[in-house]
Amino acid sequence: MSEFDVIVVGAGPAGSAAAIRLASAKANVLLIDRADPPGSKNVSGGVLWGDSLGQVIPDWEKSNMLERYIEAKGVTFLTKDSKIALDFRSTKFGEVRSGYTVLRTKFDAWLAKKAKDAGAMVVSGVTVDKLAMEGNKVTGVIQNDEVVTADTVILAEGANSRIAIDSGLKKKSDDRHMAISVKEVIKLPEKTITERFNLTNAKRGYASEYVLGFLEGGVKAGGFLYTNRESISIGAVISMEDLRKNNQTYSYDIIEQFKEHPFIAPLLADGRVEEYSAHLVPEAGLSVDSIYGDGYMIAGDAAGLTFSNGLVLQGMNYAIVSGIGAADSYLATKGSTSPERFELYRDSLKKTFVLKDMNTFKGSDKVTWSETIHNTVPAMAEEIMLNIFSENGEPKKHLSKIVVESALKNKQRRKDMIVDMYRMMRRL
Amino acid sequence: MGLEIIVMIKQVPDSSEVVIDPVTFTLNRGAARNVINPADENAIEQALLIKDKNPGTNITVITMGPPFAETALLDCMSRGVDRAILVTDRAFAGADTYPTGLTLAATITKIGKFDIIYAGEESTDSSTGHVGPGVAEFLGIEQASYTSNSWAEDGYVFAERQLEDGVETIKMEPPCLITVLTNANMPREATLRKKIDAMKKGIETWTLANIDLQPDWVGLKGSPTVVKSMRTINEKKREGKKFNVDEMDKFVDELVEKGILTFGVD
Repeated sequence: MSEFDVIVVGAGPAGSAAAIRLASAKANVLLIDRADPPGSKNVSGGVLWGDSLGQVIPDWEKSNMLERYIEAKGVTFLTKDSKIALDFRSTKFGEVRSGYTVLRTKFDAWLAKKAKDAGAMVVSGVTVDKLAMEGNKVTGVIQNDEVVTADTVILAEGANSRIAIDSGLKKKSDDRHMAISVKEVIKLPEKTITERFNLTNAKRGYASEYVLGFLEGGVKAGGFLYTNRESISIGAVISMEDLRKNNQTYSYDIIEQFKEHPFIAPLLADGRVEEYSAHLVPEAGLSVDSIYGDGYMIAGDAAGLTFSNGLVLQGMNYAIVSGIGAADSYLATKGSTSPERFELYRDSLKKTFVLKDMNTFKGSDKVTWSETIHNTVPAMAEEIMLNIFSENGEPKKHLSKIVVESALKNKQRRKDMIVDMYRMMRRL
Repeated sequence: MGLEIIVMIKQVPDSSEVVIDPVTFTLNRGAARNVINPADENAIEQALLIKDKNPGTNITVITMGPPFAETALLDCMSRGVDRAILVTDRAFAGADTYPTGLTLAATITKIGKFDIIYAGEESTDSSTGHVGPGVAEFLGIEQASYTSNSWAEDGYVFAERQLEDGVETIKMEPPCLITVLTNANMPREATLRKKIDAMKKGIETWTLANIDLQPDWVGLKGSPTVVKSMRTINEKKREGKKFNVDEMDKFVDELVEKGILTFGVD
């Protein structure tokens, strides 16, 4: 007889959502987090999209842990001198769901508290060393050479997946499928943020993803900027592979260059850096057959369940849905000793948007991390815009002619452009 | 042979998280997380070291504080303390070090038999160092303050006191009280197993009704200290000036001119 029904490793959105679900169903659950208060070492960009949390906390939107509701979403290309932006704003956000910005240190501690309130035992400030195993079956966790047993372990340990890798449940991630994200939280008055981003009021927010087309040395990076109530989260997501190849480039230089860009700096002016963090981002998910096994299920970032197609960057909502999926799979097969019982987790995830999205956008990383997106598109866009919007006393040309000329100058063959366009349409 | 040890702890705001309000210049403790007073962690460790060497030793940790002091007590139990008692009552509010010592002494009397009482040398949030010695006086037992090491041997308790001019080793007959310095040892980390056990076991909560004291003797009513006034000393603005490396002469001249630096022979 195991000491706990379920041990959940990691109090992030996946782990805490699983623990809340399990504890609410009267399961004997232990939630462990390395940080104290729980979740306070967790890091992410900071927008919780969708309403998955409502499945475990019905009145979650009343929480004061939510910063601003996104009413303005941008997709922005930056070159050294220019900014080309899509700035989509809609009063329809509300009936059509966007997301809330959150500050994870606060938000995750609150989520863990919800798990405790639901009846889970929450142990914080201790790091699990490895999983206890009998053959291929996971039977609990080990810390300080002491075993704590459970019928099922839900691994929601985040992107590094140290335990899963050390326990042989997962292969060490390939650089090509990882990006490193560096982020700063910059403190500014609430009113200043509302004004600078032209927001309706202090409860509404702006979020934009960026292509940082001004980097040299062949390093590709994306950026993000999200408005919180009284701070701005700004960060860069950099290809690990590129960083490794260019050992003269440092992640902190990239975020500095982003912050100092002529059209970003004014947005941050007079702000004070309050928090600095870095985080690994799995850019391509695990194969669905490796997110479960006898006695365990892997959820959230640890299962590679993040999504980015360049237009949006999401992870928390997938984490929550996968955590709940793991909890429900345990509850539905409770009492069964069949090693196959955990297949239900895979099958249930397949039915949700989580794995559907992962499949739909499979290979999108080939586009989001392509030279075309990071170099050619920003350079061409800048040139075309300058051509259209400038007046230097020369006869005006048709748009198509400008595009073709620019493409030729940027050494883009027409055929390649068509291929890339097609790829973008298909994959994003 | 096992000993009965009592450790007195205090929960304090984490000093690294206490911020100074830029307007009023007062300490904002609200923003800080509550932790075990650092020196008390060393007191607990000293008790655990004795327990390691003397099987059968029983450690009870006590604190007088608000209900949320439970966290600090659970933390103590997670390191290997056997029992935790929180003494909490509205009547204790506003206590200075005198009724605090009295309340803890009364609690210890109720607990019963003990060989050693440990306490941290002083707390980071008030730095008086009164409470430990006060408890020893209330109980009428021997005490050793400023200790960097202590141990039990042949029915006696030995303690090394760190003094200005050296280390004094004293030998005491139990029961006795020892206050511990922050450099005494390296407090051990809590383990998952012990954290779970601590949570399952939980802590005991006592109120004024559990100890033999009159309401007038505790809290603000029992406190002889009166705060007459409080003022903030404003930061003095310092003058700053930059010199280049090749301007050393100018730099020295200026220091002499301002009277910061003088040349002379004794």
